[in-house]
Amino acid sequence: MPYDEADVHAYADGQLAPARVEAFEAALARDAALAARVAEIRAQSAALRSALDPLLTEPIPERLVAAAARPRRRRLTTKLHAYRTLFAAAASLVLGIAIGWYVRAVDVERQGIPLSFPRQVAFTHALYASDVNRPVEVWANEEKRLVTWLTKRLGHQVHAPDLNALGYALVGGRLVAGNEKPTALFMYENADRQRLSLQVRWSETRSTDTAFRYAVESGVGVFYWIEDNCSYAISGNVDRSQLLAIARMVYGQLAALEASQAQPTR
Amino acid sequence: MIRAGPELNALPHPELLAAIPRLRRYARVLTGDPTRADDLVQDTLARAWEKRRLWQAGTDLRAWLFTIMHNVHVNQLSTARRDAANLSLDAEGANAAWQVPVRANQLERVELLELVQHMGRLPVDQREVLLLAAVEEMQYDEIAAMLDVPMGTVMSRLSRARAKLRRLVEEPSSGLRMVK
Repeated sequence: MPYDEADVHAYADGQLAPARVEAFEAALARDAALAARVAEIRAQSAALRSALDPLLTEPIPERLVAAAARPRRRRLTTKLHAYRTLFAAAASLVLGIAIGWYVRAVDVERQGIPLSFPRQVAFTHALYASDVNRPVEVWANEEKRLVTWLTKRLGHQVHAPDLNALGYALVGGRLVAGNEKPTALFMYENADRQRLSLQVRWSETRSTDTAFRYAVESGVGVFYWIEDNCSYAISGNVDRSQLLAIARMVYGQLAALEASQAQPTR
Repeated sequence: MIRAGPELNALPHPELLAAIPRLRRYARVLTGDPTRADDLVQDTLARAWEKRRLWQAGTDLRAWLFTIMHNVHVNQLSTARRDAANLSLDAEGANAAWQVPVRANQLERVELLELVQHMGRLPVDQREVLLLAAVEEMQYDEIAAMLDVPMGTVMSRLSRARAKLRRLVEEPSSGLRMVK
């Protein structure tokens, strides 16, 4: 016998040692049953691949995305702990951002859990509020430039509300790539270094329902509302009543600004 | 643009992330259960971080991760199901809980669905080699190194897996027996 059982599989799989190929192919030419076996093995393998390849395109659950990140050390302060579960999800949100250089092989945007607006807001807040080095791209000392830049990128006028009356000073702002549309983020900070975010996003759909809604995601409170085509969200690791006071102040200021801009000039 | 800083460490390693779909598929074939499969992947990634110094950049990350997964799975099997760990012989009932790792609407042909159903009735040793050789298309010597067995063992498992799968497809009732 110039070939053995292992050779049949090896040849079918394209792994037969070159030295043995000639003898095997000679046998193939003579033996129709052998040729049929090889064909059948190849067909079975192809069918298995067809059947199991769709598994490769399933969205990856957040906990596995998190497991692909370097594990954080156990010693964490309580405040960091509240953010820890959000880091992984925030990381997956960040990957949803079009950072083309980072991941190509896997479509991470299709998450196992769809992200609602308040959830995205909370994750984005967690990611940047805890950033020591660079929570914002443009700092408050360049507020005019910040507002101009964000207005241009969103395609609509944005404003940075003044929250000094509630003890929060503007830190600065940045642009966050949302799932569909860019989001403007203004970050504020009080004397206790508690940080708040105001996030603003425009969408195609116009809403008539301007009710304030509240959500909590892993300790981050979010008040959010929609005014016409624009979604707003105030988020922070503060209690609900304080967050509501801030949301109302923001809403009031923005409404006044919109009204004054709607006035015909002279 | 994400700048280097504390947050970079909180972001997933791109090569590990890219390996996750194949790890999940391998884990689905090993465990037959979607939740246990993802648990296995999570455990595998945790071990990979622990052992990261043992991986040499430039070598095959997939093979390295698969090896870890194989070993984690073997450990889990031997601790959890000692007496049922007789995997290499009779397949019947070896995986009564096998959940077909594909959704019916993803496959154009119903015979593909059945094929994968039958795969669940192979002993896990055979199923594993079949996945690695026929689906992942790994080299036999790579598989042997991964599973820490001689090449001959890989070939005989592969041969038996293919023969058994063919028999099950041709005569589905041939292997049928009431489980429990």
